[in-house]
Amino acid sequence: MAEKNKQKILIVDDSEMNRSILADMLGEEYDILEAEDGVQAVSILSKQYSELSLVLLDIVMPRLDGFGVLSAMNQNGWIVDVPVIMVSAESGSRQVERAYELGVTDFINRPFDALVVRRRVVNTILLYAKQKRLIGMVEDQIYETEQRSSLMIDILSHIVEFRNGESGLHILHVRTLTAMLLDLICARTDRYNLSPRDISLISTASALHDVGKIAIDGAILNKPGRLTSEEFSVMKTHTTVGAEMLQAAVPGWITDEEYDELMKTHTTAGADMLASLPVQNGEDLVKVAYEICRWHHERWDGRGYPDGLKGDDIPISAQVVSLADVYDALTSPRVYKPAIPHEEALQMILDGQCGQFNPLLLECLTENAEKIRTALTGDTAEQIQQRNLRSISEEALRGEGGAVSERTLRLLDYERMKYRFFAAMSEEIQFEYTASPSMVTLSAYGSRMLGLEEIFMDPQHNEKLLSIVGQGALDEIIANQHRSTPDEPDSSMELIVHINGENRWFRVITRSVWTSDMPPRYAGLLGKAIDIHEEKMRLSELEKKASLDPLTGLLNRSSAREQIENRLLVHPNGHFALAEIDIDNFKRVNDERGHIFGDRVLQELAARMRHSVRSSDVCCRAGGEEFFLFLEYNTDIERTVERIFNNLRFELEGRRITVSMGVARGEASGLTYEGLYHAADLALYEAKEAGKDQFRFYEEPAGEKGESI
Amino acid sequence: MTLRECYAALGGDYDEVISRLRSERLVQKFVLKFPEDGSFDALCGAMAAQNREEAFRAAHTIKGMCQNLSFTKLGQSAHELTEALRSGWSEAAPALFETVRADYEATVGAVREFASQLDV
Repeated sequence: MAEKNKQKILIVDDSEMNRSILADMLGEEYDILEAEDGVQAVSILSKQYSELSLVLLDIVMPRLDGFGVLSAMNQNGWIVDVPVIMVSAESGSRQVERAYELGVTDFINRPFDALVVRRRVVNTILLYAKQKRLIGMVEDQIYETEQRSSLMIDILSHIVEFRNGESGLHILHVRTLTAMLLDLICARTDRYNLSPRDISLISTASALHDVGKIAIDGAILNKPGRLTSEEFSVMKTHTTVGAEMLQAAVPGWITDEEYDELMKTHTTAGADMLASLPVQNGEDLVKVAYEICRWHHERWDGRGYPDGLKGDDIPISAQVVSLADVYDALTSPRVYKPAIPHEEALQMILDGQCGQFNPLLLECLTENAEKIRTALTGDTAEQIQQRNLRSISEEALRGEGGAVSERTLRLLDYERMKYRFFAAMSEEIQFEYTASPSMVTLSAYGSRMLGLEEIFMDPQHNEKLLSIVGQGALDEIIANQHRSTPDEPDSSMELIVHINGENRWFRVITRSVWTSDMPPRYAGLLGKAIDIHEEKMRLSELEKKASLDPLTGLLNRSSAREQIENRLLVHPNGHFALAEIDIDNFKRVNDERGHIFGDRVLQELAARMRHSVRSSDVCCRAGGEEFFLFLEYNTDIERTVERIFNNLRFELEGRRITVSMGVARGEASGLTYEGLYHAADLALYEAKEAGKDQFRFYEEPAGEKGESI
Repeated sequence: MTLRECYAALGGDYDEVISRLRSERLVQKFVLKFPEDGSFDALCGAMAAQNREEAFRAAHTIKGMCQNLSFTKLGQSAHELTEALRSGWSEAAPALFETVRADYEATVGAVREFASQLDV
């Protein structure tokens, strides 16, 4: 176990000797990992950064130098958690400055001095550990706040909404305003000695300021008109009642008898609700809430209720909440009044129309009037809550030099683990590319499949990668990236990948990643490559099937036409001929010998056609007993046609089969499919008319030479 | 031959290295390792191929090791070569390389002699 608890240090240096001198100096107290260049270092960091206590980093190294490692550490946020000490004989101040800018904690110069190295390492690790502990403390507080506030805001928003006819927004507004005012007070004076934890407590507890209203008769609470003086005195009791309820919520604060008494006089709903408050660790919170409930209608000049406290005898928590309450009540609509505009409300408060407030608070309010107005307008409850959490965390983190909290890290770690697991389970090649430094990270499966390292630099010049995907495809991926925008970051393409001596079709889907700067900068891409070879092959098989005549395996008419037109387009000056072939008296053959024999005749003819021409020529069954041949010829087309014609006359199972054939030469009929077909058809007609079992060339009628038909 | 004499033979600073590394055992271990390091071969290859970048790195590495071991003489010549290669191929590089080679051979020679006596 002791082994496991040793702190891990990563030593990155291209000289083995330097690494081992450092390792020896640090001795047995640490667990040493070594990397001999920047790429190895980044690879180790990407897997183990959260376990590392320190990196000792050389600057001058092959493949990726120390600055490259630092950029990668910045880009991935590792630099926040893992301190780096630069080790180098380089002492140029520009280098040193750059290293500090990139987040280096300290420098060790060569030659190493054992004492110095050990002392710096120990100090740096201690410093970071301390910082991490501090962050841990702060973030536990954030976590507590999140838990407390969300629970309470939930409960109270509901109660207030149902009982009071106010929107739940009031509670959130009071909370936001309370926190803002407290911050402003802190910035002005330390008279009230408020810690961040106090501010968090008070603003959370502010949600409870009207909890006593639960005991007030709904008829009074929601009365649209002015209250009578009796009704008003009942209304006033919400302060003391609320305070008593809170007292009851903390065991031991009041006696059991007092508690029973209290529960008799007030509603059971209130008791139930308070039982659900998180009071175990929240006694401070309840005490602050008590102050707020009881005294949020006290006024600076002593003319408030219920106790007539004066000046700073009123706890600052209650003072702030009362001002926040009044401001939001004025600027929001109520059953008895419409919403009053911000400026007017402010003036009413300053004029003392809602009672006297602490002058310091009024100053804070007026000086930040605009900030307050924008903070409270146009927000949904959720936005406010999110902003509160965000500002708390920002506040907490600002003090720690922008570090990421331990909890966030745990979450990130978890996400990372989840990602790795799914990446490992899925048979997909997943990859990530960062533009600076130019670096690719492959999933374990991807690395195995492609035979590439999991992390490699400069993919555009990686020969192995180029041999796998080819320059063209890589250029296309890059071009896709150039075309992508933050709004349309996704692209997809199909390409042939050369792996394990085989060419396979892959689909590559990428999403470009942009920085959050204005304007956003291209930061890299995420992507995956899926093997679609089988799918693609099935598809092309289907395509092929659709283009073939099922009986003979020759092309059907439409695909033959397509191919012929393609050839004519590509070679407009080629020597082509189209032959149309009909089996003589095929109907009689069918009648005499049956359709199965007829099919065999068609198949035999098809086979003979294929053998008579080059594979680049087009053989087609156009339908029934009609066939086409489209062929390219060099010189003697008559001889060729004669040879083919003779091949196509045969005997099958004692039955003599003959054909008639009409041939159109390209130069004679104009080079269009329609023209060739029409001419061949005319020639075929002539051949049939002349008694079948023969072939005819189409000859242009005299005087029409040169014109296409 | 003692380790101190070996240092004298190769132009190093024995007192300085001991004051930094604080253990004769450690110093001896690394001195004996020095001839095994591949950086000098890499330097020779890179110089022959006129590969400036790699030659710079190799010279830089040798310089770093020499600093750590207080091999003053070789460290100095490696330093000069490093600077001559830092921002371009300088005319002086081949001559400086020859100095490095001579110093390296002298250094390795001294270390080997020291090592051979240890075996006895």
